[in-house]
Amino acid sequence: MAAASTDGGAAAATHQPYVLRETLVGHKRAVSSVKFSPDGSLLASASADKTLRVWSTADLSLCAELSGHDEGVSDVSFSADGRYLCSASDDRTIRIWDLATAAPLKTFTGHTNYAFCCSFNPQSNMIASGSFDETVRVWEVKSGKCLRVLPAHSEPVTAVDFNHDGSLIVSSSYDGLCRIWDSATGHCMKTLIDDESPPVSFVKFSPNGKFVLAATLDSTLRLWNFSAGKFLKTYTGHINSKFCIPAAFSVTNGKYIVSGSEDNCVYLWELQTRKIVQKLKGHTDTVIAVSCHPSENVVASGALGKDKTVKIWIQEDEDQKEAE
Amino acid sequence: MNVPIIDPLQGDFPEVIEEYLQHGNMKCIAFNRRGTLLAAGCADGSCVIWDFETRGVAKELRDKDCIAPITSVCWSKYGRHILASATDKSLTLWNVVNGEKMARVTLQQTTLHARLHPGSSTPSFCLACPLSSAPILVDLNTGSSTVLPVSVSDAGNGTTAPHPRNKFSDGSPPFTPTAATFNKYGDLIYVGNSRGEILIVDSKNIWVHAIIPISGGSVVKDIVFSRNGQYLLTNSNDRVLRVYENLLPQKFAAKELEAISSNDNEFQGIEKLKVVGSKCLLLFREFQDAVTKIQWKAPCFSGDGEWVIGASASKGEHKLYIWDRAGYLVKILEGPKEALIDLAWHPVRPLVVSVSVAGLVYIWAKDHTENWSAFAPDFKELEENEEYIEREDEFDLMPESEKAKDLDINQDEEIDIVTIEKDSAFSDSDASQEELCFLPAIPLPDVPEQQDKCLGSSSKLEDSNHSGSPFSIEAAQNGQAILPASSPLEVVGNSTAEEAVETSSLKRKRKPSAKGMELQAEKGRKPSTKIKLSGKSSKSKNKHGDGLDTNGSVLEDDVTDDYL
Repeated sequence: MAAASTDGGAAAATHQPYVLRETLVGHKRAVSSVKFSPDGSLLASASADKTLRVWSTADLSLCAELSGHDEGVSDVSFSADGRYLCSASDDRTIRIWDLATAAPLKTFTGHTNYAFCCSFNPQSNMIASGSFDETVRVWEVKSGKCLRVLPAHSEPVTAVDFNHDGSLIVSSSYDGLCRIWDSATGHCMKTLIDDESPPVSFVKFSPNGKFVLAATLDSTLRLWNFSAGKFLKTYTGHINSKFCIPAAFSVTNGKYIVSGSEDNCVYLWELQTRKIVQKLKGHTDTVIAVSCHPSENVVASGALGKDKTVKIWIQEDEDQKEAE
Repeated sequence: MNVPIIDPLQGDFPEVIEEYLQHGNMKCIAFNRRGTLLAAGCADGSCVIWDFETRGVAKELRDKDCIAPITSVCWSKYGRHILASATDKSLTLWNVVNGEKMARVTLQQTTLHARLHPGSSTPSFCLACPLSSAPILVDLNTGSSTVLPVSVSDAGNGTTAPHPRNKFSDGSPPFTPTAATFNKYGDLIYVGNSRGEILIVDSKNIWVHAIIPISGGSVVKDIVFSRNGQYLLTNSNDRVLRVYENLLPQKFAAKELEAISSNDNEFQGIEKLKVVGSKCLLLFREFQDAVTKIQWKAPCFSGDGEWVIGASASKGEHKLYIWDRAGYLVKILEGPKEALIDLAWHPVRPLVVSVSVAGLVYIWAKDHTENWSAFAPDFKELEENEEYIEREDEFDLMPESEKAKDLDINQDEEIDIVTIEKDSAFSDSDASQEELCFLPAIPLPDVPEQQDKCLGSSSKLEDSNHSGSPFSIEAAQNGQAILPASSPLEVVGNSTAEEAVETSSLKRKRKPSAKGMELQAEKGRKPSTKIKLSGKSSKSKNKHGDGLDTNGSVLEDDVTDDYL
């Protein structure tokens, strides 16, 4: 197994380096998204090969392979109880899958172009999805009805996320804007815009719903306080100018920002100091997806077509290190 | 829910009907504590729980024993139980999560208003107010009931001496309509009797601690507390709504009341009770419509207690009157020509829900004007034209100064991304983990698509039964009742709809006359044609708001345009 190298010696003194635990092979084309379930027992990965794979985090074996989409899948999201998965695909649909039976349950049609991103709300009675048709749609899980079509942007919508109580939706787009919507009424609450407006490739709420982490295609990650409309932190050092690479908050052991990069590494920054504490090397193509385990210090990453694998990284314990 | 950037002026009152909910014949409604679920009691004895965020049906509580129309519904404090009272004199306690009937008690009379004890998480006591006699405290586990005293005569405490005015000529027990409610934590019960007095009764030992006489002395029909327990509203037969300020503390009000009572040794008997009463409630405002002298129905407070709403159902109208707490009438909302039977204000948002005699639930909300500066933060919205005066150096080119602003953000500040702020609207929630805020949404499986269009159409019709209600909401924007046939199409996808319409377009080209269209539309009550008509109408509902009958000729044009 490849050992990860550390970067920035002083900052890494308190940081336990992540090392590669396992490489999960199986997808036949590029991986587009990886997500841990809310209870951490499952890992879902979506791929351009039109399938979703669900892996068990305990033994890293394949639990299920879900097929049904007519085109490649761009995003996957777990419901709050971990029973359902929703996936967004280039076939313009969002599908819900029942994990107990590994079967497709519902199909939401309505988008007129590729569905790019999807997210369950914390109550898991609604799904928000963003699409290349420049709209964000809010769907009712139970009936499949489209509750709202938000005229969100003027370019493809790259990411949607709900805040911790489900009252707000944030959406980002290639038009350089992040918009915040009231999920109950569908009204726009705020637009985050900077002086230059490079395409925003990803956006996500912080765990407490007060901040928004936005990735832009000028290789920068910014943490915004959206009520004030100003950004507070900037994270750079990685390469991100072509793909929509998501970032994640790692809060299980110290606060970090984790992101993939087009130089085939996974970057970890310390939240407060903004220094790069580690670069995880091992993938052979752009790391297009990252996800942090909700309770353990485990990071999952997925890479594009030349690589097609999902890698699991864990933090070594002191005992493990000494045993070696 | 009270996120800082959501418009602060939202603490306001509703203005227009936003949509309506339809599922069976609903008679009474109640919001849960957070306003995420709305329970509605129906005429067939079942209770429907709506997920208020998605405006869809979350659960239905049904039982073969409960078939009589429901007269009132009440949530428990943590939203896990619902108490429903019905016209067959029963009270039923439901467990919301698993949809099972937990307890059922039959009383001597039909209860008009039943309220669960607000203090406990697993309520076993409830207050039942029958139509024509004194309110009863019922223990739901044992079925035993205790009648509350409704008046205090000089003879003693707790005897119910019938008032001569209310006695029937044949001497039968008097018609003593009374209203009663728990206070915020349930240790006191406020009873409004037929003599126009409010009695404060201890809920544990049924002692009358205080009496507050209402001027005018007419029958009290409704008595309601505001959500924070600071204000009490009474609705009397003299067509006046009165708001009282609650001078007792919220917690341990009974103890405080006993202390006041025992301290006061000057007076005895009724006099003492009245003196103590004057220390508990203070008349704050009176609301009435002096012109039309409306008998108010279902009055209540807004969630924050700032507004008072009363409804008028006289002459079959559906009118809501909203006053601010200072007493000024701020709005009269007029609804459809169906008499109003029940009303509820959302606990947090400026939303009002009203039930009409037709069994529909109307949702009133603020008329939203788009906040354009939310879309473009550089722009500020102006109420009227303002003269703009430029600075002297407005158009000068000064390249150096432009770069400076980038760096004045202190990027080294510590920020906290994990701590969640407590919601101020629910600051009194002590054990919020227990509370049931939403019911798990289980996706209804899709109907598999059929290749054969005709067969496919009819099978989808059958499956529309379980998903009938939510789809009516979409069409409700136009204010019509939607045909159940249209719903399955939305679920299965647009492709089938297109195919169905396409085949019909070929048929219809042969009958271009308007009369022919009408005839076909009427004949088209058959499943296949029905679907094609409604399928198209739901897509183009922006263009044609009217019914299917007139759609004929216009439809054809659209069809030929789109599906060539």
